[in-house]
Amino acid sequence: MKKIIVNFLFLAFCAFVLILSLRGIGGNPTYETLNSSDLKEEGPLELSPERGRFALTYSIIEDKSFQFSLPVAKFVIPDLGYQDGRYVSLFDPGVSLLTIPGYIIGKYFDASQVGSFAIIGLFAIANALLVRSIAKKLGANPIASSLAALIFLFGTPAFAYAVTLYQHNVTVFLMLLSVYLLLKWKGILPLFFVWFLVVGSLIVDYPNFFLFLPIGLYALGRVFPIEDIGNTIRLNIKILGLVSFVTILIPVSLFLWVHKVSYGNPLQLAGNVRSVKDFDENGNPLFREDILRRAGQEVVETPDSGDKTSIGFFKTRNMLSSLYIHLISNERGVLWFTPVILVGIFGISYLYKKRPGFTSLLLALLGSNVFLYAMWGDFWGGWAFGSRYLIPAYAVMSIFLAIALTEFKRKIFFLIIFLVLTTYSVSVNTLGALTTNRVPPKVEAVALEKVSGRKEHYTYLRNWEFLMANKSKSFIYQTFANDYVTAPQYYYIVSCSIIFVMSGQIAYMYLKARKES
Amino acid sequence: MPSFILSFSIQRQTLANIQNWFERHASALIIFVLTAVSVFSFVYYYLNGLGLAYNDARSHLDIGRRVVEGLKPGLAQLGSVWLPLPHVLMIPTIWSDFMWHSGLSGSIVSMLSFVVTGYLVFLFLKKIEVGLFGRIFGVFVFMANTNILYLQSTAMTELLLLATMTAGVYYLTSWFKDEKILDIIKASFFIMLSTLVRYDGWFLLFVASVLVGTYTLVKKGFKVFEGTLIFFLTLGGVGIALWFLWNLIIFKDPFYFVFGPFSARYQQLQLESAGNLPTKGNIFLSFQIYLYALFYNSYTLIPILGLVGVVLLLLDKKVKGSVRLACIALLAPLVFNVLALVLGHSVLFIQGISGNTWFNVRYGSMLAPSIAIFMGYLVQRLKSLRIVIVGLTSFVLFFAFANFDAVTIDDARVGSSQKNVSEVSDWLKENTIGKQGFILISAASHDAIIFSSGLSMKRFIHEGTGAYWESGLASPDRWARWIVMRSHDDNDLVWKSVSRNSGFEKYRLVESYPFADIYELDEAFLSTLNTKPVFGKQK
Repeated sequence: MKKIIVNFLFLAFCAFVLILSLRGIGGNPTYETLNSSDLKEEGPLELSPERGRFALTYSIIEDKSFQFSLPVAKFVIPDLGYQDGRYVSLFDPGVSLLTIPGYIIGKYFDASQVGSFAIIGLFAIANALLVRSIAKKLGANPIASSLAALIFLFGTPAFAYAVTLYQHNVTVFLMLLSVYLLLKWKGILPLFFVWFLVVGSLIVDYPNFFLFLPIGLYALGRVFPIEDIGNTIRLNIKILGLVSFVTILIPVSLFLWVHKVSYGNPLQLAGNVRSVKDFDENGNPLFREDILRRAGQEVVETPDSGDKTSIGFFKTRNMLSSLYIHLISNERGVLWFTPVILVGIFGISYLYKKRPGFTSLLLALLGSNVFLYAMWGDFWGGWAFGSRYLIPAYAVMSIFLAIALTEFKRKIFFLIIFLVLTTYSVSVNTLGALTTNRVPPKVEAVALEKVSGRKEHYTYLRNWEFLMANKSKSFIYQTFANDYVTAPQYYYIVSCSIIFVMSGQIAYMYLKARKES
Repeated sequence: MPSFILSFSIQRQTLANIQNWFERHASALIIFVLTAVSVFSFVYYYLNGLGLAYNDARSHLDIGRRVVEGLKPGLAQLGSVWLPLPHVLMIPTIWSDFMWHSGLSGSIVSMLSFVVTGYLVFLFLKKIEVGLFGRIFGVFVFMANTNILYLQSTAMTELLLLATMTAGVYYLTSWFKDEKILDIIKASFFIMLSTLVRYDGWFLLFVASVLVGTYTLVKKGFKVFEGTLIFFLTLGGVGIALWFLWNLIIFKDPFYFVFGPFSARYQQLQLESAGNLPTKGNIFLSFQIYLYALFYNSYTLIPILGLVGVVLLLLDKKVKGSVRLACIALLAPLVFNVLALVLGHSVLFIQGISGNTWFNVRYGSMLAPSIAIFMGYLVQRLKSLRIVIVGLTSFVLFFAFANFDAVTIDDARVGSSQKNVSEVSDWLKENTIGKQGFILISAASHDAIIFSSGLSMKRFIHEGTGAYWESGLASPDRWARWIVMRSHDDNDLVWKSVSRNSGFEKYRLVESYPFADIYELDEAFLSTLNTKPVFGKQK
């Protein structure tokens, strides 16, 4: 009974905070309202990744089509694809398909955009539960596991991407669920689900092919287990394990079908489609070379003007600058946005001693995430809050964090530092979640200053500036709460609630540990 | 359910036998694979025309060729611009036009050096008792590097330097481990060879001497220290001594290579006066620039893991203390390159960091064998994380190969090391073949044009042609039917002399290109022109 109550309270708290933070405005967008700034720049669909995904959901439901009509295409610009004379999405379709139920339910309540976004919030809650469950399974203290899960949800940039329409929380869900299944059940049975999840992740985000490689290889080890029996080494091939691959047919079929109806070619990847940059006065598409010609500039061949390759986006030469941006810089760096997650480093060696095989899997996931996106061309993630590409890494680090907290739960000095870092990280990320993800990279901010003639922040100070202008993109705030509190007051209420609950947990864990010893 | 499982069993003893077989034949297999990869890479870069993209590669080949062909052939043509060993090793093959113009004469030295260095990585890891897997992985890390594969396919000097330096450090480590006299002789011999390839070798000699000196002084006392150091330096320093002697004999100044008009220092002074040497005196920027070069040459993750490897190696109590001390020599290229930048003896441009071009980025490859050794050690040390380390390394290497990511090729093709000289050389090819007369040109400025023209070296009057050069500058209209030079640029020695000479009025400008202009003697004066080599054998 106590367990059920604890689980319920945990879920309720996560859901409560996410509902308070979910971005949105009321009403069902139509052709007429789709291109208004209330919905776009000033609203919840502020950046093209959200717009591109929402547009596909909108087209599927409203137009019964995977191609965009002209008003929807204009809404999607600048990340709009063009294939065989039709406007198509440049984003992988998985998230758009998953949010269809949310859109339909939301539409019923005259809030289709909010309903779509809420689906991502559900995935985020599931992620917190999975972090908690995995950590507990790996031997972490239950309170430490809950704390680590809350840190992942509210103390990292995952928070800012749990209240809007991005793929990251869905990717993390598929990753954590695969890990959990492999951890919870020995043998072949979980593989039927794992293959489904691993291949299904490709529909959500193509780079997941590389991100999920460690899970695939680890799972493969169960199909071909090697036994050490005295003087003999035995390689087994589990026939049922080979049969388990049959489940990939479901996501593969879906993948091929969606791409066939979207692009006319089942093997055509969204990211490799030619992109439209703007429209002319007659509504005809303008491509990069058209824009350059109109500006009187020379047209130079680039990957975008010809055939784009999927792996061409990843360049080893980006890695050094990229690692700096992701880890250290005040633009996106972990050090500035979520230093608390680094406490997880202390947990690695402890877990490694107990579960070397599983630690290797987690480290491989961590490494493939960090180094894959360190090679990515746009390592800032466009206009973004924090390092959004590292959200899967934050999830893995949270598991290590739970182990570290378990090991150091009696060390008051450690816990004080942890509390300080938690307070800072939660404050920063709640700020991001309640305001905006429209934070430019430094290089763009500098260029923008010349146009705007004012200081353009490229750190979370931009979110602070937004908040101080008494603005928040939270649906609850904009619809109900702004009559009673200001945006900063709303921010203080939400962030202090999280910090208060987490501080209580830290104190309880410490006191309980002392009592036990 | 046993019926649902297929099993294949192998006796542990059989596995041990297989491993022993690999252990016994590992050397042959490694050398075979390295050779195959080396040949394949050369053919690949030869066929796509990148093998001679570096201007310096063409200059190296011309230096070798001038020893055997030209108006004044001979060993003196080795000059003072670069240390002589790479060119000396070209001499046996450079006489062949194919070997010269294909670049193979220089590439073959680089290719052999690649195989030797790869094998030395294997031997080095064996020396520090790394298992077969770690050894093979170390070789793989060295081999699977597009920058190394490109450099080993060209007539550049990097691979020869890596081979000699790695051999030197390998035998030095052997001596520190077993104290066999033969090992220290071999170490000093290979380090001596490296001092004849590039000045990086001189620094290695210094580092090795400090290590040998410190070790013997602390462990054996002053007498042994004195004897060992003199013994080590006698052979190790002979290359440097000979180089001073060479400069004294040929150029009448033992420091000609340091202060002469073709020295790196002279080049650096020009860059400094133009404000293009920002690393001089700036240790932070120098370190940053070299770090970028190093990371670009080895794909970032690998040097990071290599750093972990070297830290663990230096702290590993299971490895003999003296061996760990010797391993410090593997880091000599890092210290040397940073120091050279700080002191202004070297120049390195990273696009986006210093200027908007590449220059000498290949210097970052100098730690490639060291990193490979550290990586091999790392997978041995962290056995349980072996799969993660190998997996992540392969992951990054996959993208490096899939995207043909080689910064050295950019350095050669679009950086300051590259000049599109084909317009000038094509003109020469089309307009001078079948006609008599010499071409006056400064090899210091336009060696790549000489190479790319495909003309016989005997057609050119350049700095190394003695009396022809002096006569050509004094009376160009009597000696040169064509003059190739950069007009209005006193750095071009031909322009500096000829433009102030009354004979220059007899020439007309026939073509003007971005890198050089071509002048031709008016036909009215052809009757007084010397078109045959008349000076005979010059001293």
